[in-house]
Amino acid sequence: MAETNSQFPRSLEGVRESLGQQSGSNRALLLMAPLLAFELLVFVVPFFILLRISFAEESSDLVYAEGTWTLEAYSSVLTSDLLWSIVGFSFLLGVVVTVLSVLIGLFYAYAIWRSTGLVKSLLLFSVVLPLLTTLVIRTYAFNPLLAPSGTLNELLLSLGLISSPIQFVPGTVGVVVGQLYIVLPYAVLAIYSVLATMDWHVVEAARDLGASRPRSVLEVVVPQAMPGIIVAAVISFAWSVGAYAAPDLLSGNITFAMQVEGLMLSDMRYPLAAAFSVVMLLLMLASIAIMFTLLNRLGGEFELA
Amino acid sequence: MSEITLNELEKRYGETTAVEDVSVEIRDGELLCLLGPSGSGKSTTLRMIAGLETPTDGEITLAGADVTDQPAYERNTSTVFQDWALFPHKTVLENVAFGLKMRDVPKEERRERAEAMLERVQMGGYGDEDPTTLSGGQKQRVALARSLAVNPDVLLLDEPLSNLDKRLREDMQIELREIHEDLEETFVHVTHDQDEAFTLADRIGIMDQGELIQVGEPTEVYENPANRFIEGFLGDTNFVGSEVVGVTDGAVRVETELGYELVLPTDRDPDVAEGTELTLSLRPEVLSIERNPTADAAEGAEQPVLADGSTLNAVVGTVENVLYRGSTVRYSVSVNGTAMFAERTGASTDALTAGEEIRIEWDGTDVLAFRADGSRVTL
Repeated sequence: MAETNSQFPRSLEGVRESLGQQSGSNRALLLMAPLLAFELLVFVVPFFILLRISFAEESSDLVYAEGTWTLEAYSSVLTSDLLWSIVGFSFLLGVVVTVLSVLIGLFYAYAIWRSTGLVKSLLLFSVVLPLLTTLVIRTYAFNPLLAPSGTLNELLLSLGLISSPIQFVPGTVGVVVGQLYIVLPYAVLAIYSVLATMDWHVVEAARDLGASRPRSVLEVVVPQAMPGIIVAAVISFAWSVGAYAAPDLLSGNITFAMQVEGLMLSDMRYPLAAAFSVVMLLLMLASIAIMFTLLNRLGGEFELA
Repeated sequence: MSEITLNELEKRYGETTAVEDVSVEIRDGELLCLLGPSGSGKSTTLRMIAGLETPTDGEITLAGADVTDQPAYERNTSTVFQDWALFPHKTVLENVAFGLKMRDVPKEERRERAEAMLERVQMGGYGDEDPTTLSGGQKQRVALARSLAVNPDVLLLDEPLSNLDKRLREDMQIELREIHEDLEETFVHVTHDQDEAFTLADRIGIMDQGELIQVGEPTEVYENPANRFIEGFLGDTNFVGSEVVGVTDGAVRVETELGYELVLPTDRDPDVAEGTELTLSLRPEVLSIERNPTADAAEGAEQPVLADGSTLNAVVGTVENVLYRGSTVRYSVSVNGTAMFAERTGASTDALTAGEEIRIEWDGTDVLAFRADGSRVTL
């Protein structure tokens, strides 16, 4: 009896001790489990299904031939001039929108950061406001605004700045504007969230040491805001390259996402669509890796002088 | 030459006035401390000299040239900030070389000059460090090196020592003093710590509620304060309420809340009349404590006027509290129900105990008197 009594607390102690040792890694893993399960379910599994389909043969009566293995879809993708021109347009849209959204986003975020009181609230609110309407509606709203007979053209005509209407939509200008409008709020918020933690004194210190206003922003604000700029760039780029709604509503050109939709839903060519998607995914990963490297390098000292 | 003139400088933020009518000439090569409690406008004044704030009114000249509307980056002033404001994404060396880079100094030269400046502030070898990993004292040195590297006409220090612990702060004060003597440049140093001001300053400018009340050498402002605020701010003192009961040639007689009638000797016609309320300041260092009260200092007794014109005043009280403070011992004393304090050096072996009757004496010429509005009565 006495033995069991003395052993009981000891074993409990042992349990507690081993728990304590494991806690570092195991508890963290336990906490992450729901997230990992979610990622597995909604990203990893579908991706492998996609990958599998991309290696399947096409079928005349089904969307793809199950159980077959071939590289045919990939060779079609890699040799198709049409698909490469679509890739080219998608990336062009991505690069242009990303550059614009990061530049405007930085400017806008800086303005929010430096403003106070009501102005600050209004600026922040106007960033979030577009997110409250549905994407399709706010994108489509550019049609009456930018169309040849639209508000902007009429304004330019009446001011005598142009002699005949310019076709912004459907066209590249229209899709860039539309897509920019979609990603800009996220870019602004990503950059602002970093600026908000920054100490204004360091900008003052730069000015005090002889840096002009633009120079102090370039030397001190941009490098410190780089984590936010990277996030803004990745969001803008990934979303714009894969853009669907804005090009569909405002562009004369076809982007990658629209083409994939066509291949799957109209042509029922699942392997080709899947292979095209896999190729795009690899290109995207490569470009984002390059972007990270380049931008991270700018996070330190600017070598202008 | 880099003297600074502030002429009727004013800064308002909407309804609030941060700095009001500040005029002072800061001499070339001097170390002026702007001393005042927080919110007194001293930092705002410094920031206006730096060009980081634009004055609402008034003007600033630097070496004879009007710089009132010149932006910070065009002025050859350099500021050491309270939080040091080091660039977190640049190395220590890049921080120090920053101002030189803005002045288009070639890369090799600015590297050499920045390294030399780091040596000077005893931070040699730290050039490649990330400034965010440094200790407070090290950051302070780097910030100082960064400001000195551009060879400014005027170095502005905005409470750079206030975030350091006491020991380090005192070391840095001496170091700053040495650097100032070495460089012979004009320094303007803002602080709320009177000890720091006394240690560093050639002259002290005391600010309160946006106004510059008095500018003078440390001994001048301490011994000859312009008003009651300065007397209270610069050190511990006993403020004793009193009322004038008689003005005779060479003396003002006052009835104090201590229950004693005291004599304040004067060598001029003091601008007070019978019935004027005065606050007397009795600094602990002018008070001496006698253990055994004698009969002639009894309540209401006549205070003797000495032959040399000075007056020995004395009151009798009871020790209420003994506060041991290391180098000194502070005694709270009740004199007829009014609280006072006096000090003795800690070395005295005959420590007083609570409840003991003592006699506090001082020379009447050491007493300063202030009117109800805080202004000083010249005795």
